[in-house]
Amino acid sequence: MNKKLLNITTRSFLRYSVIILIICAPLFYFMSHWLYVYETDEILSFHKKAFVENELHNGNFSEKDIEVWNKYNRDVEIVPDTGVQKDSIFGTIYFDPFANESEPFRELWAPIEINGKRYTYIEKNNLVEMEDMVYTVAFMFLLIILILMLGIIFLSNRLAKNLWGPFYDTLSQIRSFEIDKDTKPHFQNTGIEEFNQLNTSLDRLIEKNTAIYKNQREFVENAAHELQTPLALFQTKLDNLSQAENLTKDQFEILESLNNDVSRLNRLNKNLLLLSKIDNEAYFEKESVSVNNYINKHLDFFIEQANSKHITVNTQLSHELTLTANPILTEVLINNLFLNAIRHNVKNGSITITTGTNSLTFSNTGNGSSLDEEKLFNRFSKSDPSSPGNGLGLAIIKRITEVNNWQIEYQFNNNSHSFAIKF
Amino acid sequence: MKILIIEDEPAIANSIIEYMTPNAIICESAATAKEAMEKIELYNYDCILLDLMLPDGDGFEILRELRMLQKTDGVIIISAKETLDTRIEGLQLGADDYLTKPFHLSELLVRIQALIRRKNFSGNNIISFHEISVDILSKSVSVNNTKLDVTKKEIDLLLFLIGNQGKVLSKGAIAEHLSGDMADMLDNHDFVYAHIKNLKKKLAKAGSADYIKTVYGLGYKWSDE
Repeated sequence: MNKKLLNITTRSFLRYSVIILIICAPLFYFMSHWLYVYETDEILSFHKKAFVENELHNGNFSEKDIEVWNKYNRDVEIVPDTGVQKDSIFGTIYFDPFANESEPFRELWAPIEINGKRYTYIEKNNLVEMEDMVYTVAFMFLLIILILMLGIIFLSNRLAKNLWGPFYDTLSQIRSFEIDKDTKPHFQNTGIEEFNQLNTSLDRLIEKNTAIYKNQREFVENAAHELQTPLALFQTKLDNLSQAENLTKDQFEILESLNNDVSRLNRLNKNLLLLSKIDNEAYFEKESVSVNNYINKHLDFFIEQANSKHITVNTQLSHELTLTANPILTEVLINNLFLNAIRHNVKNGSITITTGTNSLTFSNTGNGSSLDEEKLFNRFSKSDPSSPGNGLGLAIIKRITEVNNWQIEYQFNNNSHSFAIKF
Repeated sequence: MKILIIEDEPAIANSIIEYMTPNAIICESAATAKEAMEKIELYNYDCILLDLMLPDGDGFEILRELRMLQKTDGVIIISAKETLDTRIEGLQLGADDYLTKPFHLSELLVRIQALIRRKNFSGNNIISFHEISVDILSKSVSVNNTKLDVTKKEIDLLLFLIGNQGKVLSKGAIAEHLSGDMADMLDNHDFVYAHIKNLKKKLAKAGSADYIKTVYGLGYKWSDE
């Protein structure tokens, strides 16, 4: 499955932002936690410093004040010397009977001297609960992710419509472009450099290819026309040469093979002309054509052709098949299918022609295996290089189905090749 | 019978002359439209073979000129350029038949004969060769006044052979004549043999001499020698 370009960029943007946010969330948590603790510690140190400077150095704090101080200060306590030598701050947990849960605290223990006697100053500061902070951070980040995602999806959809609009326009135009048709794509000025470059390159490519294609087409038609005159010369001279008296047996044989060669050349040339005429849309007039009538009318001729190779012809023409198509092309199509079925048959083989409600099928016995479907309809592609056909029959069939928008299907089973045209 | 060949390729004109002359057809040729017009104005022809592409003009001009002069010469267009349009335009301008190059001279010969037969309203629809006679209108063949049971293809074949009497006909030429529009696609001429065999048998049974000679390897020849 191919993905849309825009989806890929959107998806990678989304993936990147989610990853960044997920990595950042704990980082953010630890950073803010560390900062919080640092600030709390600093406050503890300030408080102690202020106590020492304001209360002790002024000398208005004496030993008997300790009891009162301790009584009214919930967070600061002065206790007899516990033996701490210098200020130390650490984290600890106390059970809060009011909140009925454990609370994290930072606690400072510092040695102080009141009237020459050593005491320990203890101050504790309540911290925000860890759990609460984790929840808050996580919630905040989820919210950011959500907003970001919605934003990116919304933006990319809008971009798809606006930014990529000209691209999709170009795409649909080149998709409907066919080199053998006269309609050329018209790209609009997009105002975006890359797209304009793409469009001008496409324009140049199309123009060049169309010119080459046209040249080629004209060349084939002109060449085929020009060949008619020398072929006519060849043919008429051979006809006259055959009238010569006293020809030997060998000479007759040479004449016969020359006759075959010239008629082969002739056929090849006529088929090339036919193909280029179809390409040039010389056969555009359409009318109602009865396939059944045509087959029945010429069946004798085809049976005669088939019988000379000991091939039997079966017809199942119960369905009336009437088309709106060019009568000449339809006849060429049926003739080619018929002769193809005769040519690539085996001795004592058979041909079955079936009309359906909307299809015509020619099946013929054949030896060997399934034909290569890819090359089957190519010009001058022959499965058997020694066959007398020129490899244009199926190309003509294919071309006729193409100009009429019909489908052709090839199948091979039980040693039988079948070509079905769906109208 | 006198015909005019308007054809700028001298080799083709010469080939036609060479083939037609022994079969009692007098040929004249013109390589340009100007030369052709001079001849048409001076003489009457039973049939004119007209190439559409001429160095000094277009064959259609000659057709228009013929009409203006109210000439009734039969015209067969022989052209390398075959499209439906040129064919229709040619026939509308008064041409009687259209033959695309390349063609077999034997085919051209029977077309000329058929055209001349149609043009001469003498009421003679019978083609005869010794004891054999073919009625073109009723499509019947009789030998010594006894009718034969023959198919349409066999009459066609017989007329082709008699029309080209004394000529060696290749199987290919006969096959193309018999298969008409389908000829361009055929690569197998074996069916000719079956038709020849049947016709020979039927003629022999009715008491006709054997005029169909097999030319080894090449084809057949209608001859009373």
